[in-house]
Amino acid sequence: MRNSLIVMGLVCLSATNSLADEALPWSEKTDAIGRIEQMPIGFLGRKELDDLVQAGEELFEAKFKKTEGAGRPMATAAILPTKARRLSKTAFARTSGPDAASCGACHNEPLLGGAGDFVTNVFVSEGFTNADFDSINPQFSNERGTNHLFGAGLIELLAREITSDLHDIRKDALKSARADQSAKRVELISKGISYGFITAQPDGVLSLKEIDGIDTDLVVRPFSQKGVMTSLRQFTVNASNHHHGMQATERFGARWTGETDFDEDGMSAELSSADISALVAWQATLRPPVVAKPENAEWQAAAKSGENVFEQIGCAQCHMPALPLNSLQFDDPGLFDVAGTLQTYQVEAPATYDLAMLDWAQSLPRNEEGQVLVPLFGDLKRHTMTDGDVDAFGNELMSQRFVDRNIFITAELWGVASTAPYGHRNDMYDLDEVISAHGGDARQSRDAYLDLDENIKQQLIAFLRTLEIK
Amino acid sequence: MYKNFKLASTFALSFSIGTTLVNADEFPFDVPSMDEQSKEAGIEHTYEGPWEYFVGGGAASFDCNGDRMPDVFLSGGKSAAKLFINTSSRGGNLSFTEKALDIGRSNTKVLGAYPINIDNDEYTDLVLLRLGANQILKGGPDCSFTKANKELAINGGREWSTGFAAIWEAENALPTMAIGNYVDRNAPGTPWGTCSPNILLRPDAANQYAEPLALEPGYCSLSMLFTDWNKSGLPDLRITNDRQYYRGGEEQLWQISPGETPRAYTQNDGWETLQIWGMGIAEADLNGDGFPEYALTSMGDTKIQSLDEEGDEESPIYKDIAFESGATAHRPYVGDDLKPSTGWHSQFVDFNNDTHKDLYIAKGNVEAMSDFASYDPDNMLLGGFENKFTEKGDEAGIALNSAGRGAVIEDFNADGMLDMLVVNRKTNVNLFLNEGAKTDWGHRPMGNWIKIELDNGAINKDAIGAKISVKTGNLTQNKTIQIGGGHASGQLGFNHFGLGVAERATIRVQWPNGDWSHPYKVFANNHVIIERDSPVANYWYPAED
Repeated sequence: MRNSLIVMGLVCLSATNSLADEALPWSEKTDAIGRIEQMPIGFLGRKELDDLVQAGEELFEAKFKKTEGAGRPMATAAILPTKARRLSKTAFARTSGPDAASCGACHNEPLLGGAGDFVTNVFVSEGFTNADFDSINPQFSNERGTNHLFGAGLIELLAREITSDLHDIRKDALKSARADQSAKRVELISKGISYGFITAQPDGVLSLKEIDGIDTDLVVRPFSQKGVMTSLRQFTVNASNHHHGMQATERFGARWTGETDFDEDGMSAELSSADISALVAWQATLRPPVVAKPENAEWQAAAKSGENVFEQIGCAQCHMPALPLNSLQFDDPGLFDVAGTLQTYQVEAPATYDLAMLDWAQSLPRNEEGQVLVPLFGDLKRHTMTDGDVDAFGNELMSQRFVDRNIFITAELWGVASTAPYGHRNDMYDLDEVISAHGGDARQSRDAYLDLDENIKQQLIAFLRTLEIK
Repeated sequence: MYKNFKLASTFALSFSIGTTLVNADEFPFDVPSMDEQSKEAGIEHTYEGPWEYFVGGGAASFDCNGDRMPDVFLSGGKSAAKLFINTSSRGGNLSFTEKALDIGRSNTKVLGAYPINIDNDEYTDLVLLRLGANQILKGGPDCSFTKANKELAINGGREWSTGFAAIWEAENALPTMAIGNYVDRNAPGTPWGTCSPNILLRPDAANQYAEPLALEPGYCSLSMLFTDWNKSGLPDLRITNDRQYYRGGEEQLWQISPGETPRAYTQNDGWETLQIWGMGIAEADLNGDGFPEYALTSMGDTKIQSLDEEGDEESPIYKDIAFESGATAHRPYVGDDLKPSTGWHSQFVDFNNDTHKDLYIAKGNVEAMSDFASYDPDNMLLGGFENKFTEKGDEAGIALNSAGRGAVIEDFNADGMLDMLVVNRKTNVNLFLNEGAKTDWGHRPMGNWIKIELDNGAINKDAIGAKISVKTGNLTQNKTIQIGGGHASGQLGFNHFGLGVAERATIRVQWPNGDWSHPYKVFANNHVIIERDSPVANYWYPAED
């Protein structure tokens, strides 16, 4: 009798385990977490890429749960693993975060991966405890609108190629200065964009006083409104911690923190490197925005004229309509990240996928040299956006990651018709307002715009309103 | 970070969730893989000789040909000292070429060497510690050296010199140099209780070196270091002494104030008697409070001294935290030999670029001393949280059966990971390439890093005595640029900091005269050059093939 009770008990236990092991139809679990068991390496075929992208999309839109590691009760939003000074009493907080259960909660206009309205603004700060950002006081942060991610893979590839060019220029200048035993002042120019000058000394010292719109390591950081994020991978690792409290092992794991559960929420290994790879793959393969052809004939004509106006008044000097890209092969991890975000040399081999496999890539124009022309309407360079008279973009209290408060990377205009409101704080209602707010390096073009007749201004707006996310 | 960690631990007691450390027997951080390459790199050199050369065996690393890659000068004891020019490529295997020294017999009987730019020209000079007259070598173009005792009016002495330290005092154009002396071999009853006095060479008002000032009593010094132990801005002189030969001696701290006669701290000042077989001194600010900690090597357990709670700016009262830090390193960590270990050179560095200071200790039996371990491998004590160290010498590949003495820990191939050269008694030097962390598929880089060179201007160009503060997030790492310490070994050049996962760092410099610089914002994994009063830092890049 006693034995049969024991047996029955085991059966019940077994049944319970079985239910727990198998996801119930109504389970709140995110199936995609951990689905990609091994970090992909080598060249990925279409099927492998599709599987990775599918997992990435599900992770992007997943509403992460506490049982999956969401929340960071004892860690701040900082990019460096940083302990909170006190246990957070709230699971979510609009300022210090976590401020969203999913990536898609903000990146959703007009589609998943898109931008967000003012309500999705985030608060960025260094997130270290010496600035009391574990309070909810907004004075310790800058408020930022949510950018869209369409075409992000192409943006990263452009940034990498420019960075490689600049590093080659630096290398050649140093080599030449050493060989000739004389200083070499050379322009940092790639894809028609000038990042100022460097002067290489014969002893290998590089003077950086004349660089313009780029960091001193000459790495183009194309992401975020300030242009301070190197890669989708770095952005993803940062944002997963900041916004969701989902900590990636490659930065918050024991290798760097000595702890398996750095945020002390009871969950370890919240996002594996393979999970991050999936998220990167989904973002990197998002199709780029398009220049739509309006059905309305009047709009068509106005847009065509407006495109010329865009050139004539100088908008295109920074919002460059297209930049040439040599290769559509995307390596993840990439070459220019540093420890804390996986980088090419930190893994056996990066995963490589050719964006040319994707349908949308077929419609990208190419130039005579076979380069893809990426229609981003940007220059991947930072500019001063205020002056003594026009200072609307200088409304922040704090610099961010060595970038002064009134300096921002040129916003890519592709998709601008789908991503109102505008400005780094998402607080400008329409295109006229945001154009009028351009000061500093853009002052001349802004003044030229304001001097236009109203119908010519409307032509410009008509053109910009064709830059859509579809 | 450490303080936060403590807070986190406190919370862990209060809440059901809490800090989840890896298992105590696991070391979660990267262990550097050190590949011994001396022969392949072209360095064949042995330190050897009779009793007088049981101690010494120092090395100096510095750039003597203007390419900013560290070259090395190696003492030879009875054999000739040698100079090797670094021909390594960035990130490649190590490579050196010997360059003949034209300094007559001064390159024999050399026990140690320290690089220093004494005369403020564009070339680094060398101070050779010898059995007999110490020799100043004035640096010249292309690693040429000329004897300069007469030019600098420096009396080289006749002692058995084993320690050196230097600092620029006040507005002096020339450095104040301390020389540590060992046993007086000519005194009655030698060697027991017959220690030569140490000396201090100070420039006078005419910018000439006056007669050496004796720092008496001497207790058979083996290492000395000018150190701003109390953050006064006026470094004092710490000396570690070998109890094997002194009688009634102790560790020493001399108060050195510009223009005043040096005075040894006593028990009245709080300086407590400590008697060890002092071999080497290393300094680092382990807990980030600005007050340095000291590692003192000895026979048996290593000491790590930290300013005691009872100590203050006027009272040098120290406690030993080696045991609680796991850094006593008192017996070999591999093999079955339970006899005490013998420590020599010591140096705090960051081998794995994880921001935690690591401690290297050169080990080796004095000379067939049967009471001490014979197979006594060098230590690589990797730092972790709360100043805890974990021995990883074996895993790193440095547990070789050689008798270490002096060492220099340098990034010889400019890849940001610290390599190491160890001078051994009676066997060839060990030259280790730091390959990074070993994985199933090869080696991967470890954490981020920054290397900083200071230019203080016309006087004391290398900014000896300056303090560098590197801030990443909430962590501030401090380092003082010093000439001295270790075991008969010194280095001059870039100052290396591990940055862990930080992509950026903010650097501030307190220059030797006490002035603070503005913050310099730099990106990780770069060689940074900071010229005094320059608005921006520049980067340096090694030559590439």
